[in-house]
Amino acid sequence: MTEIEQYVAPSSLEQAAEYLQRSGEVTILAGGTDLMPQSQGGRLKIKRTLMNIQHIPELKGIAIDGGAIRIGALATITEIMQSELIKKHLPILIEACDHFASDQIRNAATLGGNVCNASPAGDMLVPLLVLDAEVELASKPDGGLTRRRLPLSEFFVGPGKTRRAPSELLAGLRIGLPGAHHYARFFKFGTRPALDIATISIGIAGTLNNGALSSARVAFGAVAPVPMRAPRTEQALEARRLDAATIEAVAGVARDEVTPIDDVRASAWYRKELIHNITKRMLDHVAQA
Amino acid sequence: MKVAEKTKFIQPGTLIGKRIPKMDAPEKASGKTRYIHDIDLPGQLYGKILRSERVHARIKHIDTAAAKALPGVHAVITAADIVDQRPIGVAKDHLPLKTDKVRSLRDEVAAVAAESEQIALAALRLIKVEYEDLPILTDPAEAIKPGATLIHPEPRQPGGQDALKPSGPVAFTGKPDNIAMRFDYCHGDVVQAEAESDAVVEDTFKLHYVTHCCMGVSGMIADFDSSGNLLMYSNTQVPFLHKREFAEYLNMDPGRIRIIQPAIGGGFGSKLDIYPFEVICVFLARAAKRPVKLVFTREEEFISSPTRQPVLLTLRSGCKRDGSLTFRTVHTLHDNGAYTSWGATTPFVMMQTFSSLYRVPNCDYHTVAVYTNNPYAGSFRGYGNLQATFAVEAHMDKLAEAIGMDTLEFRLKNAQEQGEVSGQGMEFDSCGFKECLTTAAERSDFRRKFAENVKNRNAPGAIKRGVGIASMLHVGGGAKIYPSDGCGTILKLDDFGQVTLITGASEIGQGSETVLSQLVCEELGLPMSALTVVNNDTAITPWDVGVHASRTTFIAGNSALGAARLAKAKVLAAAARKFECPAEELDLRGGYVIKAASGEALIDLPRLMRNLHFSDKAELVMTTFYYEPPSSYQDKRYKGNVSAAYAWASQVVEVEVDTETGIVKMTKITAAHDVGRVLNRLGIEGQIEGGIVMGQGYALTESLIIENGVMRNPSFRDYKLVTAPEIPEIDISFIETMDGEGPQGAKGVGEAPAICVAAATANAIYNATGVRICGLPFTPERVYRALHGKGEKLYLAPEKAA
Ligand SMILES: Cc1cc2nc3c(=O)[nH]c(=O)nc-3n(C[C@H](O)[C@H](O)[C@H](O)COP(=O)(O)OP(=O)(O)OC[C@H]3O[C@@H](n4cnc5c(N)ncnc54)[C@H](O)[C@@H]3O)c2cc1C
Repeated sequence: MTEIEQYVAPSSLEQAAEYLQRSGEVTILAGGTDLMPQSQGGRLKIKRTLMNIQHIPELKGIAIDGGAIRIGALATITEIMQSELIKKHLPILIEACDHFASDQIRNAATLGGNVCNASPAGDMLVPLLVLDAEVELASKPDGGLTRRRLPLSEFFVGPGKTRRAPSELLAGLRIGLPGAHHYARFFKFGTRPALDIATISIGIAGTLNNGALSSARVAFGAVAPVPMRAPRTEQALEARRLDAATIEAVAGVARDEVTPIDDVRASAWYRKELIHNITKRMLDHVAQA
Repeated sequence: MKVAEKTKFIQPGTLIGKRIPKMDAPEKASGKTRYIHDIDLPGQLYGKILRSERVHARIKHIDTAAAKALPGVHAVITAADIVDQRPIGVAKDHLPLKTDKVRSLRDEVAAVAAESEQIALAALRLIKVEYEDLPILTDPAEAIKPGATLIHPEPRQPGGQDALKPSGPVAFTGKPDNIAMRFDYCHGDVVQAEAESDAVVEDTFKLHYVTHCCMGVSGMIADFDSSGNLLMYSNTQVPFLHKREFAEYLNMDPGRIRIIQPAIGGGFGSKLDIYPFEVICVFLARAAKRPVKLVFTREEEFISSPTRQPVLLTLRSGCKRDGSLTFRTVHTLHDNGAYTSWGATTPFVMMQTFSSLYRVPNCDYHTVAVYTNNPYAGSFRGYGNLQATFAVEAHMDKLAEAIGMDTLEFRLKNAQEQGEVSGQGMEFDSCGFKECLTTAAERSDFRRKFAENVKNRNAPGAIKRGVGIASMLHVGGGAKIYPSDGCGTILKLDDFGQVTLITGASEIGQGSETVLSQLVCEELGLPMSALTVVNNDTAITPWDVGVHASRTTFIAGNSALGAARLAKAKVLAAAARKFECPAEELDLRGGYVIKAASGEALIDLPRLMRNLHFSDKAELVMTTFYYEPPSSYQDKRYKGNVSAAYAWASQVVEVEVDTETGIVKMTKITAAHDVGRVLNRLGIEGQIEGGIVMGQGYALTESLIIENGVMRNPSFRDYKLVTAPEIPEIDISFIETMDGEGPQGAKGVGEAPAICVAAATANAIYNATGVRICGLPFTPERVYRALHGKGEKLYLAPEKAA
């Protein structure tokens, strides 16, 4: 339990940034689906000020903005799932939403919360990584609201740890509009089809031409301290024709590239086996696409 | 002018076998049911328990001063405050508040009653406990070795010499070893039988921890009135046993204890014993002189509820070339946990499966239940039978394969039949076992699929299909283990023809009040709407032994039926006097007294009741009945006809095994159950579907992970119940053997459907892959490891190895 001294619910990004600037003792509340269980379970201490960001219009919405799709930090998993824009341009996100928690949680859980919570098993993170997403961070360091962008692949530094400064708010995510022949798939392995934390997850993307992926992107979840891009696997995959031998080789590189741990959900050995077998399965699908 | 009433004829009809919605369903579905959580008494305080932070440690000092000083706190208690504490549980080895030691992480060290839950929790944080760690013992195989750390050592003098041994229960006298209980059973001569066997197989099986996961967590309210009478609002499944036992623990006259059961959000056996929290709640109410409500959080429910009994089991079985079973030898090691609850007594049921599910002329069964610092095991739907059946049915497949016999044929050859008396003395007056086997096999096309799957094992593709069969035997007519296995009923008919059924049998969600009402309505020719059930107050209801052993429909049903028959006789006798005809010519139907032959309505029941009541010789129709089943106690060698009827079932499970991930997907379950007779079709379907899903969880997903005495997954996030999309297609057939003793021919089915799912699943995985997995649950990783030669090595149960 925490003694919360102050509860604030700013109605603009500027106001919110101001609260953050004034004091480092602020806990940001979006959907609360990570925050509540973590504070109840004693793993997180809510700071003196609890700031509900749900009333900030700048953090909402999904729209095309200068050749990119911008998803506001407050977009819920349900909103993303139902967005025509996302369905059309970024169907891999729909795949991830479809394996995300339950309806009740999806209605409350925000994309920004998933990103800032920075769990290695966060379901939206792996697809966002293979889409080359950027985070948009807002702050008010010297009287004026400023924003900076950072590739998502540089954002995560450890379990629950990011490059977001305490004075910064995640405003949204930007994803370049995919070009022609863009291919992107996501696979989440849990021990049951619904309501599970990923044992491992895999995202594969790139431009598909003649059975080969170029500008290949591969990311893995729940097999390292952060959701990780896999550069060596990407390299092994890059522009290669996906015959059986290549697929086996890429899957082997993937298995060696991840660094999972043993926990209640699975052993490190089994996670590596899954990375190998499922990468192979997904690449078989690419080859057949 | 008076118009002559038209003569009315009532058509015959029956409620038996119909789909009757549960009487409590509308309230539950609309959220109006009042569970313990919804009940608040004026002046009530909230109780919270401080549990051990150590797995095994000496308690050196407890400082409660700061907690006591917190405003809003009315009582803080530790063992030191309760001088007259007495041990609870089957072996009387468990003091509700721990005195000198904690023996597992769930152990109760102190408790608080305060004006709100928040204050109570804040007070708990202010209690300082100093511990001195003791060696932790969590491997039952280590626990039985000489020289092992003792969980309940005998008290010692400070100098180290043996103290003068105090007399009394284990909690005070301790034990010279870690053995909580032993069971040894035998019929025939297994040594001779093995010599005469053509095939012999042996395996060690490891059955894991699971827990009940009742949606309604544990809780109670204790309230003393100004005369010192104790009222408890309790979720117990055994109110009458509770009353007596509480009296003993509290040193009270049982007559001064009353138990009211609010709606119970699931039991499954978890509410069959007395637990420390219940006694502590009473202590708090006594100390605070206010009503105290104590309700678990979900984490507490996981950590401090009893589990299903984990078992290490070595089975050796043999048969002849012609397919007849020759012998079974069983050694089990039960991890009792730190205290003894019902889990330790599961051998009562386990040995029945080994000795009597199939005809086996020679059987040897041995269990040692040992103390460890793990969570303790209690009773859980199936009561050891899931574990026993898992082993027996694996060997039915293995032996059939060893002698090259069709696996179904092998089972049919050894299956019990009506009229047989098993080696353990169980008398099968009705037995639809063979019909269960053939029905489940035919409806699932078992034989064809079984052969096809074996052929396809080495075909390309990651997904392998499998089909497996398993069967079960369980008590279905009560179980005679207490001084009485009976149940009492009071039936009251009022002036409006409404009936109040007052029964000792508790409703814990299993649908008993509906089925009991149905039996009464059938007898009295009334619609279900004429019935009110009172079943939750020891001050009103007659005695019943409790909800366990799948006994309520059978025992309480026969009791309700007995009372209804007496009421009917009384009503018909009155009608016979009125209409001047023999009572035998009359009957009750559709709310009327009718002429039995023609169905002609003579008088409606309310009018007849008023005639009887408001007359010179005023009479009420109120009857009582007590039913005691014609079963017998087991003798000292565990032999005897312990139940008045036995339930049988066979289930065929179909799976798809993904060999690249280890995922086992259940695609279909075909179940055939000998239920005696279907009373409420809707109810029994729900019971069987629910049981199957519980069995599915046991087989595939559920597992309490205990490492060094610490529960790693006390939440629904990491303890995986089966969710809706995983539930396979379920095809249920009812085999109606019309049991001669059962109410309208019915037998108990409460536990049956959960029992053989895991066993059939193991056989299906073997059928798909050729790999036999002897440990549960079949999580993807366990299956994947087994398929890739990295399976768990299971060692013999140590007693056997020794
Ligand atoms: C039952 C259940 C099932 C779940 N299943 C899944 C699942 O299948 N897959 C999955 O990935 N996750 C799952 N989760 C976790 C959780 O729902 C998600 O991570 C969710 O996206 C978090 O979003 P939120 O809005 O609820 O975040 P919150 O709990 O409000 O916040 C999470 C963290 O991010 C910070 N934060 C939030 N928004 C911002 C912002 N704009 N700027 C800066 N910091 C911010 C908060 O301070 C907090 O530290 C589950 C949770 C529960 C309770």
